[in-house]
Amino acid sequence: MPCSALFPLVVALIVQTPAAVQPKNEDIETCLACHADKSMSVMLPSGESRGLFVDKGGFTRSVHGGKLGCTDCHTDVTEIPHASKPFKSKREFTIAYYEACKRCHFANYSKTLDSVHYAAIARGDRTAPTCVDCHGAHDITPPNQPRSRISQTCATCHRGVSTVYARSVHGRALIEEKNIDVPACTDCHHSHDIAGPHAPGWRLKSPELCASCHASQSMMKKYGLSTAVMQTYLADFHGMTASLQKQDGTTGPRVTALCIDCHGVHDIAKTKGPGSAQMQKNLVATCQKCHPGATKSFSAAWMSHYEPTLQKAPLVYGVKLMYYVLIPFMIGGLVLQILLHLWRVVVNR
Amino acid sequence: MKGYIVRFSRRQRIEHFSVMTVFIILSLTGLPQKFFEASWAQALIVGLGGIDRVRWIHRAAGVAFALLTGIHLTTAVGLVLLGRSSLSIVPTRQDFTDAIDQIRYYLGGSEEPARFDKFDYKQKFEYWGLVLGAVIVISTGLVLLFPILTAQFLPGEVIPAAKLAHGNEGLMAFLVVIVWHIYNAHLNPDVFPFDTTIFTGKISLDRLHHEHGREYERLKDEQSPSDPASI
Repeated sequence: MPCSALFPLVVALIVQTPAAVQPKNEDIETCLACHADKSMSVMLPSGESRGLFVDKGGFTRSVHGGKLGCTDCHTDVTEIPHASKPFKSKREFTIAYYEACKRCHFANYSKTLDSVHYAAIARGDRTAPTCVDCHGAHDITPPNQPRSRISQTCATCHRGVSTVYARSVHGRALIEEKNIDVPACTDCHHSHDIAGPHAPGWRLKSPELCASCHASQSMMKKYGLSTAVMQTYLADFHGMTASLQKQDGTTGPRVTALCIDCHGVHDIAKTKGPGSAQMQKNLVATCQKCHPGATKSFSAAWMSHYEPTLQKAPLVYGVKLMYYVLIPFMIGGLVLQILLHLWRVVVNR
Repeated sequence: MKGYIVRFSRRQRIEHFSVMTVFIILSLTGLPQKFFEASWAQALIVGLGGIDRVRWIHRAAGVAFALLTGIHLTTAVGLVLLGRSSLSIVPTRQDFTDAIDQIRYYLGGSEEPARFDKFDYKQKFEYWGLVLGAVIVISTGLVLLFPILTAQFLPGEVIPAAKLAHGNEGLMAFLVVIVWHIYNAHLNPDVFPFDTTIFTGKISLDRLHHEHGREYERLKDEQSPSDPASI
């Protein structure tokens, strides 16, 4: 979403917040008079027991501690004892609180409406996450501190990809080396407006995600990586196809190799150094995913993101150099002949 | 001097028209693929219905071009073997002397331009340039159309090399046509605005005398009163 579209939302949020929320620290104690009791619970029609204990310490240490009171979120609670609630299960209770964050966090709330998670809830999937499933409820702390917490949050449900990611070059750097440059889940998928990877345009847009880091001179320099990867990809048949297909906006099956088709998605590995031999060995198999019948010689057609040089690809370099000289020489010679002819015509008159 | 002679046969005129049409289609669909980063190229590709369609048009036109070239060369060789065609398009030592004489004339070194036979050195250069260019674009085009098959016989590096050669050879052919052919067939003060000979087959005896002096003399010597070629 462009910044210009976000701006009114942000302004609205800043302007609204102080008016809408009054600190109500005093009523925390009122509520905790009962809710500090760990044994307190209700039995729901589903047979589940819903605990009603609230950890005071967890709340005061949370981002909302000292800022919000209980009824800022639990707006439906207006009397003691509370009116009984019609929820049949714990999950129904949680989903009913989907809108609780909206009063203050309107921008992020409205982004979630465009997400796959909301789409799942809307079509009746009770397991899809709401705000509290990722952020917590009473004990909300900044979700990216430490940064590796982001992928752990997603792992709650997405166990499979998360494990694969943790073993990838990005995941290992994030989790083992505490590297904050590498992408966590939300850098590619976004946090609130998570679009599904099957969303239209997602595939063709994916090289931009890679480019946001791999085309950055300053960042790649730190790791001794080349930023030419993007350029060489775009100049090649696959990259050219991808960028033109994105341009023409037509739908339907679009077939071309993107970054992820060769490098993988969550399992991206290093292409140099230890462990990279596997990728070289798999190159033919990688080509064969789209080009059945591809041989080892065919995979050599792919110049591995290198610009042709005399050492790396002498034939390609030679052809390039030849036309670099031949075209200006040829056209220049012809233009010269034309000018000479015209000059003679003028002289003859 | 009035009258004309028939310079190009019906078959040759049809060949020229077909190659011209196919060449325009190939340029329109090929150049934007070479310069795909430019906005005009992207607009053209979108206008023609997207990259996938542009590629198929280019491939179909390429096959047509290959067939035209194949038919032309086979027929030419066949006609020569049957003795029904002269070798007037084959470059000779005379063409080099002609070129030098002509350039000397342009530079003011001589008062008379070179006198040419049926095809002057510029026409031969363009013809053989087109034949050589056709061989290059057709062979590299086949490599690009069948990369997997190619890699079964040749090293993989041939494929990116073919891609570069194909695009550059195509660009050069396009530039030669735009600069050289358009000048000689349209903008040249001798024929401006339009040399119609390749479409009607006819060239006036005046022009023949002026542009192909040696051929003119030769035809005059051979001419008999009943010769239908001259009127």
